[in-house]
Amino acid sequence: MKNQLLRFTLRSLLFYKRDYLNQTIIIAILAAIITGSLLTGESVRQSLKRQSGEKLGKTDILISSGLRYFDPSIADRLTSLQRIITTPILETDGYCQNFATGATALEISIYGIRKDFFSFHGIDSIDIPEGTAAINSVLAEQLGIQEGEEIIVRFRDTDPIPENAPFAPEENGENSKVLKVARILGTCCAGNFSLGISQVLPRNIFMNLDDLQDADNQKSRVNRLLIANPGKISESSIYNLLKEILTINDIGLSIRKSEVTGEKEIISDRIFIDSLLVGRILNELKKGYPVLTYLANSLKTKNGENPYSFIAGLPPDVISETTEDEIIISKWLADDLRSGPGDEISLKWYHQVGNLLEEREKKFIIKSITGNNVIYSDPSLMPEFPGISGSTSCSSWDAGIPILMDRIREKDEKYWDTYKGTPKAFISYENAKKLWGNLFGLATAIRFSGDIENEIIINTLKGKIEPSDAGISIRNVRISGEDAASQGVDFGTLFLSLGFFIILSCIILLSFSVSIFFDSKKEQVKTYYALGFRHSLIGRMLFNETAIISVAGAFSGVFTGYGVNVLIIHALNTVWTGAVQTNTITPGFDFVTVIIGFISTILIAQVLVMIRLRNFLKRLGSDSKERFVIHSSKRNLLSLILVSIPAIILSVVSVLSDDSSVLLSFTGGTLVFIALILSIKQYYLTGLKKTLTGSERFYRLSKRFYSFNPSQAVTPVIFIGAGIFAIIITSSNRLTLSEDMLRNEGGTGGYLLWSESAIPVKQNLNSETGKKEFGLYDPEFKNIEVLQCLKLQGDDASCLNLNHIKAPPLLGVDPAEIIRRGSFSFAAVKEDSENKNPWMLLSDKAGTDIIYGIADQTVLQWGLKVKTGDTLVFRSEKGKLLRIVISGGLKSSVFQGHLIIGEKYFREYYPSVAGSSVFLIDGENEETEQMKTLLSDRFSNYGLSVESASDKLASFFIVTNTYLNVFTILGILGLILGVFGLGFMLIRNYDIRRKEFALLMATGFNVKKVSKYILFDQVIILAWGILTGTLSAILATFPSLKSSNVTSVTLILIMVLAVFFSGMAILYFSVNRVKRTDLLKQLKKD
Amino acid sequence: MLKLENISKSFPQRGIVLDNLVLEAGEGDSIAITGPSGSGKSTLMNIIGALDRPDSGDVKFRGNSILNLSNNELSGYRNRNIGFVFQDHLLLNHLTIRENILLPLFAEKISSNEYTEKLSYCDLLAERVGITGLMDKFPFQISGGEAQRATIVRALTGKPSLLLADEPTGSLDAKNAENLGSLLVELNREFRITLIVATHSVDMASRMALHMKLDEGKLKV
Repeated sequence: MKNQLLRFTLRSLLFYKRDYLNQTIIIAILAAIITGSLLTGESVRQSLKRQSGEKLGKTDILISSGLRYFDPSIADRLTSLQRIITTPILETDGYCQNFATGATALEISIYGIRKDFFSFHGIDSIDIPEGTAAINSVLAEQLGIQEGEEIIVRFRDTDPIPENAPFAPEENGENSKVLKVARILGTCCAGNFSLGISQVLPRNIFMNLDDLQDADNQKSRVNRLLIANPGKISESSIYNLLKEILTINDIGLSIRKSEVTGEKEIISDRIFIDSLLVGRILNELKKGYPVLTYLANSLKTKNGENPYSFIAGLPPDVISETTEDEIIISKWLADDLRSGPGDEISLKWYHQVGNLLEEREKKFIIKSITGNNVIYSDPSLMPEFPGISGSTSCSSWDAGIPILMDRIREKDEKYWDTYKGTPKAFISYENAKKLWGNLFGLATAIRFSGDIENEIIINTLKGKIEPSDAGISIRNVRISGEDAASQGVDFGTLFLSLGFFIILSCIILLSFSVSIFFDSKKEQVKTYYALGFRHSLIGRMLFNETAIISVAGAFSGVFTGYGVNVLIIHALNTVWTGAVQTNTITPGFDFVTVIIGFISTILIAQVLVMIRLRNFLKRLGSDSKERFVIHSSKRNLLSLILVSIPAIILSVVSVLSDDSSVLLSFTGGTLVFIALILSIKQYYLTGLKKTLTGSERFYRLSKRFYSFNPSQAVTPVIFIGAGIFAIIITSSNRLTLSEDMLRNEGGTGGYLLWSESAIPVKQNLNSETGKKEFGLYDPEFKNIEVLQCLKLQGDDASCLNLNHIKAPPLLGVDPAEIIRRGSFSFAAVKEDSENKNPWMLLSDKAGTDIIYGIADQTVLQWGLKVKTGDTLVFRSEKGKLLRIVISGGLKSSVFQGHLIIGEKYFREYYPSVAGSSVFLIDGENEETEQMKTLLSDRFSNYGLSVESASDKLASFFIVTNTYLNVFTILGILGLILGVFGLGFMLIRNYDIRRKEFALLMATGFNVKKVSKYILFDQVIILAWGILTGTLSAILATFPSLKSSNVTSVTLILIMVLAVFFSGMAILYFSVNRVKRTDLLKQLKKD
Repeated sequence: MLKLENISKSFPQRGIVLDNLVLEAGEGDSIAITGPSGSGKSTLMNIIGALDRPDSGDVKFRGNSILNLSNNELSGYRNRNIGFVFQDHLLLNHLTIRENILLPLFAEKISSNEYTEKLSYCDLLAERVGITGLMDKFPFQISGGEAQRATIVRALTGKPSLLLADEPTGSLDAKNAENLGSLLVELNREFRITLIVATHSVDMASRMALHMKLDEGKLKV
């Protein structure tokens, strides 16, 4: 029995092979689109993962000290302790130029490496000697440079002393080197090494580590440690191992001995010792005490004034106890000021506020003159200020503060010659901490009373210092990279959505095709019934036939899907590169994805078949005459009138009004769409009313068929109309720069220029000195306003990055300035912010180590996948967890890709970020181009890139616009496919109506007239569909069409013509087929 | 009026169907052609009606061969000279009976006067066959006998000289078949239309003036 059924099924398949072939083709197209889209998603994911892996090379785990440095010997000790392979590197930013041509590359990654860097990555043949560099091919191409030629590299200073720490030497934070390009490296040779997460290839320079180190400082420092972890040792184990071997020397602390007191002391190469470390050391070594020495601008009593003296803060058990208002002064100072105990003394010093200096003052009462305690005469109480310590005279100090040389007297120079930095006054440590404790630390030294060996200090502290106390963190970068790729933009879903019209067309076509096919089998099925076949058996037989077709279609489709995937990837790497920002995506194949595509297609097809089959079997019992229902046109006419009135009113208002709202136009357009659909229905329904007499009787004759079957006219009109409507509406969402975006509340914030510097700029460019220093008083800079933003590097979270980003770059911004200008607007604000401007919240704290942040809404939604009110966790420079609560989501702005926090808190949590790297600049509009040129020139040492804010904003539109282009193109293809499908349906329809056409032939109609008879209404339907979609969409998008843009009009034209001509082509083809079909034979048969 | 000279027709599957067949029909003749299924009755009717072409021989209408006519000319020939009545009434369900009847008038351009004249003629025919009250109904709203009568009116709308009826009573019950047979004969007499009926029905054949049998590809009286 089963064999017999199978034979029936196969026979039926053979007999109806043409119908089944049609269905197979439709299902194959459906499978190809679904599988192709899914494979595209998989290809992008695989490419991102591959790129992430290629960039990391052998790196599995990263130990990073962020903005700080550590001793590279940690790498060797870790390697010797555990079987892991490590290599230390010094990563910094900068820019470079082709020395010969001057071609410049900004925003490059610079790596100081040891010889073992390349062997770590499994390449033993590459060595970068001092004075040479290896660059990757991307950079080489940009610079137009060959091996053996020279480049000049300017890089961010790697001095351990934070540039804006008190008394840091005043340099511009930039170093440069001329290096010979020894190698140009491709992907295979770690050339594209990167620890960042992005699909865009980096521009890399690899230098000898020694070339990156400060020439004055012989000690080698790095800030990253790469670990290859084939043994899959856990991060916590590596962290514990690191803690175990970490010594104070590794994190920039050293021990020295006071020549005067003989005491040992720990000092830091950052001048100030972090509070966490101070606490940790004092906890472990009870004999220790903190010292905080600071430089006073002046010490003044009523009798005299002394300039530039060091004041030391010491605990009460070291010096005589003093209250908050008491000070002990040296004999030398007492003599100089002609003052003594009980006298009032005024102390002035510079306090660092951000990168500004603020002179503060405090009055003390002289408690006593220093006694015999040797500590009072200890010059080593002065920290190792690099610009002061080695100076031969006061006048040669580079103290990082303004020194008024004319205030320095002969006796001051003599004091320096004799006593060096020996403090002239002493206050309690607690008092000093209050006055001079800062973000960089609370002590300049930790001293140990009594005799203590260096080894004891080192060994006691070994294993006791948490690496995080020194800002060291550990991260599995391989997993992070893979996760970012896996959770990145899902091109599978994206292309399924973009190919919506093709999928929809296939589904509609398949539905029609199956329905018509079942109808054609009506007699066969009736025979089955007559022979006593059970309903379920007949259903199963028909289902089995279509299931075989579904499997065959899906099977061939999934392999075609791979071809679709290859095509899409090719397009993404070329014409649609705007969506991926790279040309390195490669097509991939994934068996599971193919299976998913295969099963999904079969499911869709078979569900559709089941629905159609059920309807077909249900209808079988009913009398065929019931299908001829005389439809009343009254209800339709009433609906038409009811819809037309508001449609006309809204459309007229929308077209005539200068500032018609989008909603008004859209509603008007949609109502026009409905009205036009009702009109075509009305046109055909009224065909029943009149008898076919009069001059246009022939055309009304052809109309009659649709009067009985209005759905056969209305459905194609809806399909074509809705397709065109949806495509035009969607494409009208193309993002273009509007006047609104250039206003203060727009995405540019009203600023003219966006610029970024490779080297941070410490100066305040709105201040007089800043303007003077960079020549911003020139006429071109009239009314210049600069919003300076501090920046902590991170992974670009804008739409230009396909990966899922968790740590975007942080920008520290002064919210007051933005509030004052009323710059930018919000798309979403945190719900419980009590109507407070989210910018204002940037100056508030939500709790301990909890601050507020702002980002573009698109970044929040797609890049970071969070919403307002959510919290992002960062690690501060000191290793503490910093929680950032999202207070607002900006409407599309130039800040896309960044997370903005208040400048105040940026400085608190990332004090080592010395200056601003991002600038929003406003000025005279007509001077924009001139300003761009001049700024690039004036800030050439900082590697400043300048672009207009509007261009910056527009650069983010490219992704959305590319998606819209893809949608439009695939939409038009889908529509054309749909139109072709409708043609195919017509052919089937002709088959059904063949008798009718044959009769016409018998009664004397010639072929031309029969063709006319068929074509007349088909052309009306096609044209009406195009008119419906186009007219309603134009009305719906009238405001945007009015304000823009030739592209939209061209697109509409192309689409209309494409649909019309493809429609006409298929009509011609189908009518031609009617000609060829021998209708007379049909008649003879009957 | 109609002359078939040595008509032969064969089909690959069926072999020779018509073999040097000869037939002559004058104005107002009524001829019944009978024969077993597959004997070639319908093939012969199709050749007479210019729906098919013979392999050899000639079909002359009023002295002129119709086999030399182009497809368009054949359409005109059918429209002006031939009326068809099929076994299945072949009325178009989406047209009213009146429109179905008027269908042949839409095939070619005719003047308003002629149209009006033929319209009146149709009304006359409708009245004659007793379907006046059904003119505004649709085919699915009337009975099979009524539909077949409407078909006859449609066949006569163009005032043809020759009415070809291929198994006209095949789908009717006995009573309706008898009525239709009588009607065809009456119309043949009243309007002097040449009537050729292919039928299995002996009763129908006996009503015709001439009864011919198609056997082995030849017509025998």
